[in-house]
Amino acid sequence: MYFEPNEDQATFLSVLDQIASGDGSGWKVPADWSRFHWADELDRTLEDNGFYDCAIEETLGPVTAAAMIHRLARLSVTMEFAASAMLRPFLPPDLPRPIAVIDGDPAAAIRYLPVARSVLSIGEYEVRAAMLDDGDVQPVESLFAYPMGVFSATIGRWQRIDVDPRRVRESWRVAVAAELGGTLLGGRDAVLAHLRERRQFGQALGSFQGLQHRLAASATKIEAAYWLTLKAAQGLEAADSAVALGYVQNAATTVVYDLHQFMGAMGLTLEHPLHRWTYRARLLKSALGGAGENLKLAASRKWRAA
Amino acid sequence: MDFDWTDEERAYRARIRDFLRRELPPEWGDIARHGPGSKEQTDFSRTFCPKLAEAGLLVPHWPAEWGGADRPTWEHFILGEEMWASGEPRGAQYMNVNWIGPTLMRYGSDEQKQRYIPPMAKGQAIWCQGFSEPNAGSDLAALRTRAVRDGDDYVINGTKIWTSYAGLAETCFLLARTGGADTGKAGIAIFLVPMDTPGVEVRAIPSLIGHGDIHECFFTDVRVPASSRLGAEGEAWSIIRYSLANERVGIPRYELSARVLEEMVEDLKQQGRFDDPAIQIRAGEAAAACEAARLLTYRVVDQKARGGAPGPEANVARFAVVTADNSVTDFGLDFLPDFFSGLNRPGYLAHHERAIVAGIAAGAAEIQLNLIAHRFLDLPKVAS
Ligand SMILES: Cc1cc2nc3c(=O)[nH]c(=O)nc-3n(C[C@H](O)[C@H](O)[C@H](O)COP(=O)(O)OP(=O)(O)OC[C@H]3O[C@@H](n4cnc5c(N)ncnc54)[C@H](O)[C@@H]3O)c2cc1C
Repeated sequence: MYFEPNEDQATFLSVLDQIASGDGSGWKVPADWSRFHWADELDRTLEDNGFYDCAIEETLGPVTAAAMIHRLARLSVTMEFAASAMLRPFLPPDLPRPIAVIDGDPAAAIRYLPVARSVLSIGEYEVRAAMLDDGDVQPVESLFAYPMGVFSATIGRWQRIDVDPRRVRESWRVAVAAELGGTLLGGRDAVLAHLRERRQFGQALGSFQGLQHRLAASATKIEAAYWLTLKAAQGLEAADSAVALGYVQNAATTVVYDLHQFMGAMGLTLEHPLHRWTYRARLLKSALGGAGENLKLAASRKWRAA
Repeated sequence: MDFDWTDEERAYRARIRDFLRRELPPEWGDIARHGPGSKEQTDFSRTFCPKLAEAGLLVPHWPAEWGGADRPTWEHFILGEEMWASGEPRGAQYMNVNWIGPTLMRYGSDEQKQRYIPPMAKGQAIWCQGFSEPNAGSDLAALRTRAVRDGDDYVINGTKIWTSYAGLAETCFLLARTGGADTGKAGIAIFLVPMDTPGVEVRAIPSLIGHGDIHECFFTDVRVPASSRLGAEGEAWSIIRYSLANERVGIPRYELSARVLEEMVEDLKQQGRFDDPAIQIRAGEAAAACEAARLLTYRVVDQKARGGAPGPEANVARFAVVTADNSVTDFGLDFLPDFFSGLNRPGYLAHHERAIVAGIAAGAAEIQLNLIAHRFLDLPKVAS
């Protein structure tokens, strides 16, 4: 049992942190007041420097991929990194990024689709991939802080990938758990900064115990979610990945509610970035069936029930 | 990062389980039902702990000089998990092993060490911890029990409350004020007080949590030699800080909770009810809470194993442990209420009693939240 990163992981994560704290990752109010800011430049830097390959590096592996996803999700900007980093061991190396993932109804709005260059479908019996062409996809307006889209044409170029669909699905569950966990942490940190500064009744908001206890209880869940996710990434045991995702999805409801409460009216604007985290979280918390489905899955796998 | 056990650690756990299988009698469930501070469990510990000592499983993490084997932190922790999950057959003696012994090794006089440590290492000493008072619970530094110097002695007057094990303990690790009433943390000293000293009176408090578990202790003109003071006057706070740092993550309660949850699921399966999705979701939630508490605790153990001082992560772990314990006991009460009447499942009752303590004893859950807010989230002190 060893919770510190090994030497390679430490180097990898600290370089990642440096890059991710650079100019391209910060909060910008886009001219069109859109709900997300696509960080193309940062994404390309990460891709060009091989960051999305970490899961196939022997001394880094899926645990590092999960930690990387968690870190990138803390940023206010949006990129596609969860599938690219976590599913890398299963994908053809030439599959172009960004990758959109279909893990449920293919007719529903799918995140990243309008910016994706390929799409991965994780079905019950097979995993398929296809490259996307102009005209395949139509963007849709959405509540969520991701580029969302639907297929405007039937894709005829699907290629079956020879991998175990269950393993891909479990990796994907861990990837989503990491992304949601990091998203909650990023939003939380933005709100904490506000609570230390903003004063009402002559004191910093952050000094009110009614808020402190809720933040502290959330901190416990956010911390736990991180370690549950990393542990699930190491073993890729089916029960562990369902526990990790179910746990963080369960936590997300309270955390998101609290964060918006604590920001007051400021949290309802597009000028403060809080919405960029919370409206990602609000989508991710229903991914792969949502908390109920994942916790049920965790129980049925752990105790082999129907 | 590696979240798996080594082969050596697995073998160590297996060895402890073998030992428990051999040494716990068939009626152990009924004994453990009464609570760790009960007469039944204390009496049992008096024969069980010497056997543990003989097998090298009582104080393996202590230095060889004091009867230990200098074994690593993780082994000590695995041992603690297995003991707690089987109902804590060491009774009160877990405190000696975890923190009273190590504190005496570090701060005790030669006389104190020679007198108190060897019986602990042999599994033959019962101690109690006299900290809380009627007016000093969460605000421990407000304690009022006085120890007044009188020549070569101190004379102690005051009342302690919620003292576990006091009815059967031979010695009390007592906090008393040697400074003036307004000296706060700086005016407190520690005394090692034999419980048969004239003027010490113990009254068991009837409770929801096991027979004879908590007590009120009255100290009336209790005269002890100055040599029974541990450390200097005013040094108590820094000593306790050190000793309780060893205990920061507290009891590995999640291990028992996880095992009780397994039994509950087994019962639901027997009744043909585990296919109900509502039940499965709640079972998954409780299992996740136990796993969360486990990993957060392990992180603190890992810090300690690498020689670091425990940080506010310990408070985070403690809060998660409270959530996990309650999650499991609530699961049982919601779906298997029939097993909470009668004695079909003594383990459920015992777990319930231990779980309702988790958020109070050794620092309330809300105190943990305060500490997380200040130390972990760096929020300003609470507004008055
Ligand atoms: C089973 C059991 C065994 C125990 N064994 C021992 C023992 O062996 N020796 C010993 O010395 N003590 C022992 N204790 C006492 C234990 O340490 C205290 O109960 C604990 O510190 C809380 O103190 P209190 O009960 O006086 O509650 P109080 O201090 O009166 O607090 C009551 C509640 O108020 C809230 N609260 C208090 N302060 C704050 C604050 N600052 N902010 C927010 N909320 C707050 C919390 O919810 C708390 O639970 C034991 C307790 C139990 C339940």
